[in-house]
Order: sequence, then C-alpha cells, then structure tokens
Amino acid sequence: MNILSDRSRDIGEFVPAEDDDMLICRCEEVTKGEIRKAVHDGMWTITEIRRYLRTGMGLCQGQTCARLVKGIIAKELGISPAELEPATARSPMRPVEMRVMGNEEA
Amino acid sequence: MKRYELIVVGAGPSGLSAAIEAAKCGVEVIVFDENEKPGGQLFKQIHKFFGSKEHHAKVRGFKIGEELLREASDAGVEVVLNATVTGLYQNKEITVRIGDAIHHYKGDTIIIATGAAENMVTFPGWTLPGVIGAGAAQTLMNIHGIQPGKRVLMLGSGNVGLVVSFQLMQAGCEVVAVADAAPRIGGYGVHAAKVARTGVPFYLSHTITKAHGTDHVTGVTISEVDSSFKPIAGTEKYFDVDVICIAVGLSPMSQLFKMSGCNMEDNPKKGGQVPIIDSYGETSQKGVFAAGDVSGIEEASSAMIEGRMAGVCAAQYLGYCTEEEKENKLKDLEKDLDSLRQGMFAPSNRGKLIEKTDEGIDVSMSLLTKGFVSDDEIERFPGVTHKVGVHPVMECTQNIPCNPCQDACPKGCISIGENITNLPFVTDGSQCINCGMCVASCSGQAIFLVDEDCGDGYASITLPYEFLPLPKIGDVGSGLGRNGERVCEATVVNVKNLKAFDHTNLLTIKVPKEYAMKARFFRA
Repeated sequence: MNILSDRSRDIGEFVPAEDDDMLICRCEEVTKGEIRKAVHDGMWTITEIRRYLRTGMGLCQGQTCARLVKGIIAKELGISPAELEPATARSPMRPVEMRVMGNEEA
Repeated sequence: MKRYELIVVGAGPSGLSAAIEAAKCGVEVIVFDENEKPGGQLFKQIHKFFGSKEHHAKVRGFKIGEELLREASDAGVEVVLNATVTGLYQNKEITVRIGDAIHHYKGDTIIIATGAAENMVTFPGWTLPGVIGAGAAQTLMNIHGIQPGKRVLMLGSGNVGLVVSFQLMQAGCEVVAVADAAPRIGGYGVHAAKVARTGVPFYLSHTITKAHGTDHVTGVTISEVDSSFKPIAGTEKYFDVDVICIAVGLSPMSQLFKMSGCNMEDNPKKGGQVPIIDSYGETSQKGVFAAGDVSGIEEASSAMIEGRMAGVCAAQYLGYCTEEEKENKLKDLEKDLDSLRQGMFAPSNRGKLIEKTDEGIDVSMSLLTKGFVSDDEIERFPGVTHKVGVHPVMECTQNIPCNPCQDACPKGCISIGENITNLPFVTDGSQCINCGMCVASCSGQAIFLVDEDCGDGYASITLPYEFLPLPKIGDVGSGLGRNGERVCEATVVNVKNLKAFDHTNLLTIKVPKEYAMKARFFRA
C-alpha cells in the first residue's frame, strides 16, 4: 500500500498556471499543462501518463523528459518524485525501424 | 544465438576497464557500443585529471582514453561499434542492433556500463536552438572542433559546468556568467577559481527564467531564487548570449537492468534509478554486474576502477581465477577507489556544507559563493607562505583526492602527507629551483611560482596558461586578481612550454611587488 493506492485522495482542483503551454516532451509535443491536467483527470502514475499523453514514447524514448515528467506528476500529487514508479523498461531500448526489428538473426 | 563468456555493454571508461581486466584473466569478452567510436566521454575530456598516479592524475582525459584502447587491444578485447543493445532479457540474453538486423547473444556473465544521460531544466524558451547540454558543447568543441557559439551562459556550477566553462573559453567563446540555483558552488573550488580569475562572474541562488529569441537564442534572463527555489521578482538580469549551456547533473541510463528484472532503487544520491548492487557491482541477478555511472553518478576515474572490479568478479564467477586471486586484486582496487571517495566532495558529503578543512582551517566562503578565495582569506591556507626568492604558492584550499604536485617537485619542496586529500604545504628548508613542474602538474591550476621581490620594486609570478593566442615576452597587459578584476599593469617576462608540461604553458609576469599575492592571471 503506497501513497498512490488511495485514488480517492483529494489533490485539489486543476489550477491553470502561466507556464502551462511550455513543452515538456519535445518528441511527442506534450505541454506541462496537459500533464498537470492529466493528473487531475486521474492519471497518477508514469505508465498512465505515458499511455494517455504519449510522453516519453517518441524518438528519444524519454531520455530528456522522463525526469521532468516525473517531477511534474509528483508535484501535482504532493509527493516526492522518488515515490513514483519509473516507466516500464522494455525492448527496444532505442528506436528501431520495423524492417530492422523484423530482420532477426538468431 | 552466439554465446560469449562475458558480454560488456558500453565501451566507455568502465566498460573497457571491465573488459580488459576480464580478458587478462583469459575470459572471452565482447563489448558492444552504440557509438561509432569507443571511449565514451573520455575523448571529450581535454583537462588534466585529479587523483594520484594510480588514477592517472595530471594526465588529460583523452590520453587516458588512448591508453585504455591500447590496453584493450593488447588484451584481445573484441569491441563492436555501431552496435546498439536493444534489450536485456532473463538468463542473460541480449538483443543487439547491428546494421539492419537484430542479433541475439547470450552471455555467461554480463557487465552493463551504459553510463548516464544529461538532465534538463525547463524555462520559457528552453526548446530554442542554442540551448544545449554541456556534453553537447564538449562534443562540438573537443570532438568536432566547432565553436558552439560566441557568448555563452552556463547553468550549473558542478565540476561539469566549471570544466566545460573553461573549455568554452579555451575554444574562444566568451562565458558571460555561471549561474546555479544552489546557494553554493557544487564543483571543486580550484575549477571555479580558474574560471573566476579570467573575469567570469558567478551567480549562485540564480536560475534561468527566460531564453529570448524567436528561431534561436539571442539572450537570457536569470533571476535570483528564494530558499524554495522560486524566482524573486525584480532580481532579473539579462545577458546577450547565443548559447545557453545546461550542466545540471546526470541520470544513470539503467533501463537494461530494470528490463531484465534486477532489483532497483531510486537513490537521489546516486542520481536516480540504479540497480541495487554489492560493493563490487554485482546485481540481484548472479553474474550480471553494473559498473560506472550507470550504478551511481561519479566520475571517470572511479568508473574505471569499478569496471576493473566487475571484470575481476566476472572472471572469478566464470572460473578463470580463484577466490583468493580475486580477493587480492579487489583489495588493491578497493584501496584506489576508497582514496578517490575521500575528502569534502566524497559521495557521502553530497549536498553538505563543510565549514572546516580536515586541517581545521575555515573553508573560504567567498570560494563557495563567488568562485574565488578572497585576498584576506588566502593567507590562512598552508600552501600559501612567504619566502625570499622564488617559491611555490599553492592556492589549494579544499580537501580533494589529488597529489601530483608532491611528486612533481624534483627538490621535494611540496608535501601532501599521508592522506591524499590533505592540503599541500611547502616543506621546511627546501629550495625551489623555479622549474615550474608543480605549476604544470596541478590539475586545478592552483599553483603559482612567486618571487615577492625580484628587484626594482617588482615581483614575478609564474602562472599556468592554457589559452590561445599565447602572450609573448614583452607583452604588456593587465594583472587580474583572483576575482578576475584588473589590479595592476603586468609585463610578460617569460613564456615556457616543455613537453613535460603537457600543453600547459607557463607565463611569468612582472607586477609591482605589492601585487605579488594578488595578481593571478594575465590579460593582454
């Protein structure tokens, strides 16, 4: 049971901020406001945010924004970033074209 | 599927060291690296490294890289470049993209040495071209010979920020300021001091609040922050710049461990997500090791030792050396690693304010906030003494693991003592012969040869100089103080460059003798 298990916890209303239009995930063009809003829409984990907004799912695979997104979610939830589970790590670690993915040499 | 006894992922300092150590024991090793050249970040490091002889102290980073490659080829290590490891699965199976195909390999042991990625910070305009990481700046300058821009603001005062600021100046860029949200400079004081004495101002407790420009950076605004790192209105400062360089720390690239199911932890002291390892790098999965920054952010010198440790452990795991041989090798390596992890900047001291040196001397607060030791603070450090004739003045004021100066002096004038982190001092009765070896050997460029009275009311100061164009004998310019401000007129009376100095030129300037302990840099 961790702090994220209780989804009925009141995290307050979404309050618009001046820097809401700032790009956070450049590859998928997701803004800070969209991420903050998603938390208020009920996406409390990095995995949920990724599926909902595609942050960290682009070309750089979150190399730049993973830490930033984590910080934004944590702040919105009022917890420490260390309490958030990191995104699932899965192959391919780097973007690979489908024609290469399919060309396996066993 | 091809099988290897040891697969190393990453051909940086730790990965290569691991491969070398294992191969020397007879292990059949293959190393994969996604880059087109091996060596990781080492070939971008043009500065002299700290440490002791065992840690390649006073050798420039790229030279250490060359040595490592030679050693790897001698040991018969096979390095496959342009080979991206795309996955690590249970049972030590990996997939590697080479060319247009995905190849499968299985290792009896695996060492992951994938290093780290740079952190970013956001501010309005942070996606403009011209906002770059410190690593990118190094790649441009030191690998490709390209200036990142003309005028640069550096964000981050850790060793990376300080070292890269200096390198930017060496590449001919102007560094307008070094800013950091922290209230104190994070990196070595000597690195800060060599930047400050050229006239670069430090803005601590400051962060970037806006990058200006429409299609590229044309300027930057920084603001002071309060104790909760919120910008304070009315404290904005604007600089005309075309580059904003970001050096705000690194995050381990540890995803392969997570994917294969190793136990992980989120450890801010280690820079983020890292595998949980024993003292020699073995993860919760037997035979899978971590080495270097991927297991916790440190620097190249410790990464190389960690690599060697993991290599020895893998060799023993595979039966290529006995438990006893392993223990013997690890004992020496542990000693080397321990000595690097001593002093004020030891990983255990991260974030702490240390007010006194091990010798009991008050640390210079000016150094921690402005980047230079003030004139009234400098005299209290043991390396700063007065003597008749030429003598070394060592402005080394923090306990860091480094000692090339004591080996450099052929006359034994300089001593560090038992502990590698001690502050250097001038030994009793020693006679300086003005050879300059100490000045060139100091990786922190903190040693000067001073003759406080060389006649006619003048003093001479010999200082390390690593910029172009190199001043010539007879040039008249300004003597700059530790804070980078002009203190007096200075004339170049000697320029020395020996092979043993390894590209550190020694400039001797003549200044009015009242500035003997004040002038520390020359500007034409």
